[in-house]
Amino acid sequence: MADSVAEIQKAKKLYLFIGLTLFFFTVVTVAVATVEILDFGGRGFDHVDAVIGLIIASIKASLVMLIFMHLNHEKKLVYQLFIMGIVLGVFLMVLTAWAFSDPIRYGKGTTEANKSGFYDPEKAPQD
Amino acid sequence: MDIPYTVTARKDTGLYNAKVGIWLFLASEVMLFGGLFSGYVFLRVYADFPWPERALPVVPGLINTFILIGSSVTIVFAWAALKMRKWRQFQVFMIITLLCAGLFMVLKGIEYKAKWSHQAVRMKDFVVIEGHTHKATIDNTGHIHHYHPEGEHGEKGHAAIGDEANGMILVAAEGDSHGEEGHHSDEGLTQSEPFEFNRVVFKADSVTVDLEKFYDPVIRDLMKQAQDQGKSIVLTGDLYGRSTHEVDEKLLASKGDLLSLGMLKKLRAVHLDAKAHNAAIKTKQNRKAWAQLRGSLPKDQKGAPSYKIKGDLVLDEEFNKFLVSAPSSVRFEIMDAAEEGTEKTAASATFVLKPREVREGAESSSLRDGTLLEGELDAKHSQIEMAADAIDFRFVAQRAVEKGIDPEVAIQNTWLIKNNPEVKELWAEHKSHIDKLAKELEKHGFDKNGKPKQFPTDTERYRMGWQELVNMGEGKEVMGVFSGFAGPNHKKDYAKHFPEIVVPREETNLESKFTPRWNNYYAIYFLITGLHGLHVIGGALVLGHFLFCGKKMYLNNPERLANRVEVGGLFWHFVDLVWIFLFPILYLM
Repeated sequence: MADSVAEIQKAKKLYLFIGLTLFFFTVVTVAVATVEILDFGGRGFDHVDAVIGLIIASIKASLVMLIFMHLNHEKKLVYQLFIMGIVLGVFLMVLTAWAFSDPIRYGKGTTEANKSGFYDPEKAPQD
Repeated sequence: MDIPYTVTARKDTGLYNAKVGIWLFLASEVMLFGGLFSGYVFLRVYADFPWPERALPVVPGLINTFILIGSSVTIVFAWAALKMRKWRQFQVFMIITLLCAGLFMVLKGIEYKAKWSHQAVRMKDFVVIEGHTHKATIDNTGHIHHYHPEGEHGEKGHAAIGDEANGMILVAAEGDSHGEEGHHSDEGLTQSEPFEFNRVVFKADSVTVDLEKFYDPVIRDLMKQAQDQGKSIVLTGDLYGRSTHEVDEKLLASKGDLLSLGMLKKLRAVHLDAKAHNAAIKTKQNRKAWAQLRGSLPKDQKGAPSYKIKGDLVLDEEFNKFLVSAPSSVRFEIMDAAEEGTEKTAASATFVLKPREVREGAESSSLRDGTLLEGELDAKHSQIEMAADAIDFRFVAQRAVEKGIDPEVAIQNTWLIKNNPEVKELWAEHKSHIDKLAKELEKHGFDKNGKPKQFPTDTERYRMGWQELVNMGEGKEVMGVFSGFAGPNHKKDYAKHFPEIVVPREETNLESKFTPRWNNYYAIYFLITGLHGLHVIGGALVLGHFLFCGKKMYLNNPERLANRVEVGGLFWHFVDLVWIFLFPILYLM
């Protein structure tokens, strides 16, 4: 932990640098999404753009967490709490994704749209 | 009592307590937003409509990202200043942080407001039209006028509305002395506040109120609208009723009485009282009949009546004389509010109603509280009139492909293309542009199957956005970065290129502002950004507290204040962190 005045002065420079880096990455995100020659993958938005966008966002998020939130030098307990949050967060995401494998099927469940188990009024059994 | 471990670290955790607390809280926040993000993914992956990709204006989102990142820097600077015991510097950085928070919310507000005033219509054939509805006013004779605020749209906007070639002329006043539509200089006529052209307009002669269900705001609205037009809603005949403790029917309200909530409430009380009384009588009557029936039923060995019922329940007619009567609904008529002492004459009043609150019909419309209006639907003014800033055939194309129809054929057969020559022309021009683009993209080569590697996206192919509409216009208006800051601006000069579209209500499937009601995208957008906005406000309040009420603690125990600011800062960084993901996901993908 930066506690002495000299260390804090040094840290301030780092904070400024990280801030500028974040600005830069923000511009990169927008450029990748809007400028045509930087459009990777197929034309327009597709999974490649989604992955690139999320990678840049993750880099930015890591910088904020490591530098601004001091996660580069923290006590063990903070990491434990943080990892618990991430693990449970991922668990919640999986819980939502679980709905994709809902065993309840409407209709015959043969078409692509129907495999998900979502209600399709046109394919619902008539009673 | 002194709170322990505000400055010194606990031995077992190695941290001061507040830091453990904030990290626990942040862990729960990660779960909250993680769950919402997965909800977003879920909705998007299984959306059964074309997901609005990159639908939000990027510039305000980009500025907001800069603002939040900047404030993240200033908050650590404020903390560093406190660590170095520089109060003045701390104040400066803290104020900048709070200003950033304020600016963020202002931009968010501008963005939200643009959404909440932007109209979308989905037709029965899945054509989506976006734009701004025109406004109208209603004068005190019940006539509808187009509303033209000075300077807005100018002469051209006006001309476009009355354009004969459009095939849909929107003249308001029905061939009377009030002159042409749009002129609100009529002498001696007061006009209502402008309302939007997405309302149901009904010319009613009578109002029938359901005494059980009527809802005060609905009735109040009807009374006000009638009053504005100089009409009054009066009772058509004398009303008699008898409640429980009265022997004779008595006059509850007499013919010519004005509709008032007080009167309705009195009538409702009498009606409910009578209803309860009658129900009790009926119960007694039934009980007696059952008792008699049971007495006559054959008994089993134990003496209990067997329930094999033979014969009918005979109700004692004597009971009927105790029944009381009271009206359950009351009919009123619209009258010209005449001078004292003179006879009132029957008239009709024009009611402007929100489409969600009315089930309209040609001759009678019922409101959401069961109030029935009888008269004539003003079909001409119940249409949705708008200047369209986007026409979207993606949904048509998607449905066509699902059904195995050629999307182009489906689009050619839509109501809009068939009925609006202007849109038809625009669509033809748009198609030629896209064909040209497809040709250009062929330079990227072809794959094994002979298909071009790059081709126009569905959005490019099937959606005419506002920039394109402007570019297809004759003038080729030059648009700056800020000319569509929070979406298309209908007050700018380029708005004259937006086609005028009139949609009959029966051709529409859903009409809405860009609110959670419109589609799942906006539902999740408002949910996550709204929650994020609340975090910004909450964080700013806490940081503001440190700034404005922290001086005393700074003098007594500066390290403790520094720790507080660090913890507040950790929360602030988290808010920034959420936005770092929100911005690309909602604005760019």
